[in-house]
Amino acid sequence: MALNPVLRELAKRASDTVEGAPPGALLVAPQAIADLVEVVARADVDRTSLLIWGGGSHQGLGNRVDAELVLATSRLNALVDWQPDDLTVVVGVGMKVADLESRLAERGQTALLPEHPGLATVGGVVASGVSGFRRLRYGPTRDRVLEVRLVTGDGRQVRGGGRVVKNVTGYDLPRLACGSLGRLGVITEVCLKLSPLPEATMTVSVEDRNSAKARLYRPLSILADQRGSYVYLAGTRAEVEEQVARLDGSAREGLHWPPDPDGPFRFSLRVPPRLLDEACVRLPETWEWLALVGVGEIRIGAPGAAGATEARVWAESVGGALVVTQAPEAWYQEFDPWGTPPPGTELTAKLSEAFDPHRILNRRRLPGGV
Amino acid sequence: MFIDGLVGLLGRDRVLDHPLELHVYSRDSSVARGHASVVVFPKSTDEVAAVVRLAAQYRAPVVARGAGTGLAGGAVPSEGGVVVSLLGLNSIDSVSAEDRTAWVGPGVINLDLSRAVASHGLHFAPDPSSQSACTIGGNIANNSGGPHCLAEGSTVNHVLALEVVLADGSVITVGSAAPDPIGFDLRGLIVGSEGTLGIVTRALVKLTPNPPDVRTLLASFPSVGAAAGAVSGIIAAGLVPAALEMMDREMVQAVENWLHAGLPTEDAAILLAEVTGVTEAVEAEAAIVARIAEANGARTLRMAADDEERALLWKGRKSAFGAVAQAAPNYYLHDTVVPRTRLVEVMEEVYRVAARYGLTMMNVFHAGDGNLHPLIAFDAEEPGMLDRVQAAAAELAAICINVGGVLSGEHGIGLEKRDLMPLFFTKADLDAQARIKEVFDPTSVFNPNKILPEGSRCFDLDRPVPDGAWV
Repeated sequence: MALNPVLRELAKRASDTVEGAPPGALLVAPQAIADLVEVVARADVDRTSLLIWGGGSHQGLGNRVDAELVLATSRLNALVDWQPDDLTVVVGVGMKVADLESRLAERGQTALLPEHPGLATVGGVVASGVSGFRRLRYGPTRDRVLEVRLVTGDGRQVRGGGRVVKNVTGYDLPRLACGSLGRLGVITEVCLKLSPLPEATMTVSVEDRNSAKARLYRPLSILADQRGSYVYLAGTRAEVEEQVARLDGSAREGLHWPPDPDGPFRFSLRVPPRLLDEACVRLPETWEWLALVGVGEIRIGAPGAAGATEARVWAESVGGALVVTQAPEAWYQEFDPWGTPPPGTELTAKLSEAFDPHRILNRRRLPGGV
Repeated sequence: MFIDGLVGLLGRDRVLDHPLELHVYSRDSSVARGHASVVVFPKSTDEVAAVVRLAAQYRAPVVARGAGTGLAGGAVPSEGGVVVSLLGLNSIDSVSAEDRTAWVGPGVINLDLSRAVASHGLHFAPDPSSQSACTIGGNIANNSGGPHCLAEGSTVNHVLALEVVLADGSVITVGSAAPDPIGFDLRGLIVGSEGTLGIVTRALVKLTPNPPDVRTLLASFPSVGAAAGAVSGIIAAGLVPAALEMMDREMVQAVENWLHAGLPTEDAAILLAEVTGVTEAVEAEAAIVARIAEANGARTLRMAADDEERALLWKGRKSAFGAVAQAAPNYYLHDTVVPRTRLVEVMEEVYRVAARYGLTMMNVFHAGDGNLHPLIAFDAEEPGMLDRVQAAAAELAAICINVGGVLSGEHGIGLEKRDLMPLFFTKADLDAQARIKEVFDPTSVFNPNKILPEGSRCFDLDRPVPDGAWV
């Protein structure tokens, strides 16, 4: 179907208006939620397929979306309400993670969002359900999303959750929205729980990550790659120094996060935490990897696709998954980016339909083509 | 007949239908009352599924029940039907110390789980005051909290996977021991859904390492405002203690009369603060808490000298609701959350409402979370009293919502707050929630008329599509 003339009028060629947007695509970038509602509602009437775009960082995740129009959230980037004494912040989803974290740091706070955000937006992180390295101590991102506002596929404005740190009022829409990849609605605003930044931090290179883990009480993070293992400590000065003394390793001030593995093919391998060592051993030698010890996630950068199927078969056999996070476009036709659809995929499809009846938002993005 | 069918499935001894027995299962720990038609005691997932299928045939509502300690009427069979007691599914199937997880039945008692895994140096973090009686299944249904969820988060943060019987009697397992299961987070949605989306028959829960050291401080203050000021000060200082609990004088006196825990009864409010972690950390943090308490006018300040004293202080806190029994035969316990910075003004309003309605109000709450528990002690036999109590409760809810708060922090909506939901949500919000219910349970078999007020699913989108000139 030809694109609605009003939408066509609103749309611009993307590259000159939104940083990181797909080159050449037709794009709308609403400045206000009311405008976004109008775009979605009109697209719903015309069955126009939309691709929701934050900073583009997580667009490699999931099935390819065959969209007529890109809906960018980059202009919904206001810091709506920050209550430092309540440790909560409300932001428009288009706000860049890096911008939010640097604002929060001014008052000694953090939203514990991913440490290498690049151009990623808060909405992109929430919708993709990704978490940072500090999740060993503080849990995944989804544990800190207190409220979401979203515009459903048929243009309804819906809010779930609340702006307090503890809430059981109604179904947990924020949880459902985390990792929903746009199949529930366009998230427009989120309230996040914040944490105080610690007084002292230290990075310790260790020989034996498992014995380090056993010797510590809830470290901030433990990472491992082909070169070594790193323990991250945070807290009061005395506490951090005491924990460093428990480890035989070389300590450096601050948190020195290794880069995410790069390569034309990127995967996230997820297994029960106890199987992490076994998983690392099983990876092809050409793969670069970074393992989150105690969490069970391995981030992978690979030069080619060889070995992906074997790794997936094993991961699924132990209750995990191998998820494609970035790959050449054509490969998505050959290799399912999710793997075997999980139990409950039928329920997911029905929930998605209840929120987006004409399947206009990020169509087919989820496992099983939901 | 339905009951004969149930007897055929489970045997006569696991089906109750005597009026006296049914009476017991027609209520929980709230003031709500229902009428159970029959009560069953399945012992396996298959039996639960068979009961659900049979109930669907007879169009009988299915109300799942744990220990019945819920305070919002979530387990009350308000529409009749079959009450499914899950106390028979009470095994701890496996514990993985390496993964720090356990597969457990919903009928396992909260505290029993922590005791069972103590030898691994682990515990189940959610610790509702009823933890010696309440079940894991009930915790999951209500997304329960407890004092220590200030630092550890509510139940949903501690559940990794669920085996669930759905409305058609099928069984699925959602979530996994591996992180970030793909697809929608159905596990996160089902936790806190109060038995309205399905019946949880097994859960993979996360276990938390026991802290190496702990300090518990008790401070008393000349006013509730001063105590609340100390709470704000502690949070603002960048501390997130393991627990930060407050009780007002009325509540402290009730507890002391009963328990003699040694709580100071002369001052307007007490604050119980606990910090956990390595010794260096807890010493530093305890010193900061003490300093902030003093700066906010603390009259007395003491630190628990040993585990015994700590246990006694916590017993004083966790027995608060039991202690109220000596003040009046019934109590109504409220559960709202407000932004922590609005605590003082809301407390002042709470006392004003109590005075206006002439009600005995005591306060015990999770101050660190902004989670209020005003408790109204009353005698339900007194004519018109229950109406007055409920009117006061509705007014309190409205006050909390007006300052940016929510209806419930950890007890759930159930029947008790169902009709208050429109105070907090728009029609579109409620409609969205009703759509979720409809997807899981199209004929409303599971716990009907809970959480969502009648008519939630009838929002008509009045959708003009104006030609806007924005770009």
